[in-house]
Amino acid sequence: MAADTAVAASPEETLESLLREAEALKQKLEEERQKLNDVALSCVAERLEQINFPNLKLRRALKGHQAKVLCSDWSPDKRHIVSSSQDGKVIIWDAFTATKEHTISMPSTWVMACAYAPSGNMVAAGGLDNKVTVFPLGGGSDEEPASRKRTVATHTSYMSACLFPNTDRQILTGGGDGTCALWDVESGQLLQSFQAHAADVMALDLAPTDMGDTFVSGGCDRAVLVWDMRSGHAVQAFDTHLSDVNSVRYHPSGDSLASGSDDSCCRLFDLRADREVARYWKESVIFGVNSVEWSVSGRLLFAGYSDYTACAWDALREARVCVLCGHEHRVSRVQLSPDGTALSTASWDTTLRVWA
Amino acid sequence: MDMMVSTLQQQRAVTEQLRREASIKRIPVSVAVADIVRYINEHEQEDCLLVGFSSQKVNPFREKSSCTVL
Repeated sequence: MAADTAVAASPEETLESLLREAEALKQKLEEERQKLNDVALSCVAERLEQINFPNLKLRRALKGHQAKVLCSDWSPDKRHIVSSSQDGKVIIWDAFTATKEHTISMPSTWVMACAYAPSGNMVAAGGLDNKVTVFPLGGGSDEEPASRKRTVATHTSYMSACLFPNTDRQILTGGGDGTCALWDVESGQLLQSFQAHAADVMALDLAPTDMGDTFVSGGCDRAVLVWDMRSGHAVQAFDTHLSDVNSVRYHPSGDSLASGSDDSCCRLFDLRADREVARYWKESVIFGVNSVEWSVSGRLLFAGYSDYTACAWDALREARVCVLCGHEHRVSRVQLSPDGTALSTASWDTTLRVWA
Repeated sequence: MDMMVSTLQQQRAVTEQLRREASIKRIPVSVAVADIVRYINEHEQEDCLLVGFSSQKVNPFREKSSCTVL
């Protein structure tokens, strides 16, 4: 039966012919990409005027988790932050006053991912429970968010990343099972599955709004993949990282994206040139990058490291321009507030901090 | 037999993926880089973490002053 379907699908293809074609395609890809590599970003940047980078100061410390903070996300109201932790708790913070507004207990420890819905009226979280659960917030009722929770998605392994794709009605997830998936929040129905990673998916990011339905994922197979949300196909692949890719983030222009990896290097991939165009690393930095983020203009690339620091890179000159010290354990997440006026960092030292 | 079929299917997926990647249009790096630089230049003034705040009043996370005017 299985053999019949295989034959029916394509009678002329054999394993040998497919392998041969794959090799030829790989070579062609490499040649094509190299042919268009006519200048280095750093050479162009040398001709730009130098900028005086401001010092980012620590403005708030959010204390309340009992263990490693693994993920965080800003509310669209630019004031609240949701964070998730190894302690099995999800906390909604008022970042202005540095106080907790809600604490939600999850069914398992290691809540690896959390996200605010675009409306600000809902958060999603999950991790080692293999699930994404959504918690409606506010809505005029005094009920605790946990009483109205709903499980939306289930992976066959841990859930490592989630985001709302510009709507409260859908959630995009990535998991330890190597797949990404798009879910309907209301029904919990799987809308589209994305399979091409050869190992755990660690990170997701949505293309900036006007770019349409594409997103990017990074994984433990060292690959960064760009996906067409409608077809479910990976349309581009970047495989220059030497170790797990922990974080991916579209440049605000939408034409390129940055990634951070356990190889202690951040890389910039241009989508239209279809290749890596810059690398952000220093010999003295030997620890992995856990999270990357852009400033509003895309001139600064922020990165959170396992050496307890976060820093800002001048994305054009490929030089480190500022180091944020203060955390006492690895920095798991760096994220810009929605209006670009502050940077939040989350750390295994159990705290979150806000810099501006 | 089933294993051979699944290997063939896997390889077909890999090859199809490479066909898609090979068929996309590319632009020279010089053009791509020029566009990145242009985008940054156009948005530099909106980037508070890059150019600073026009006044500390517009920084939502500024330190609260200890006395207020009544």
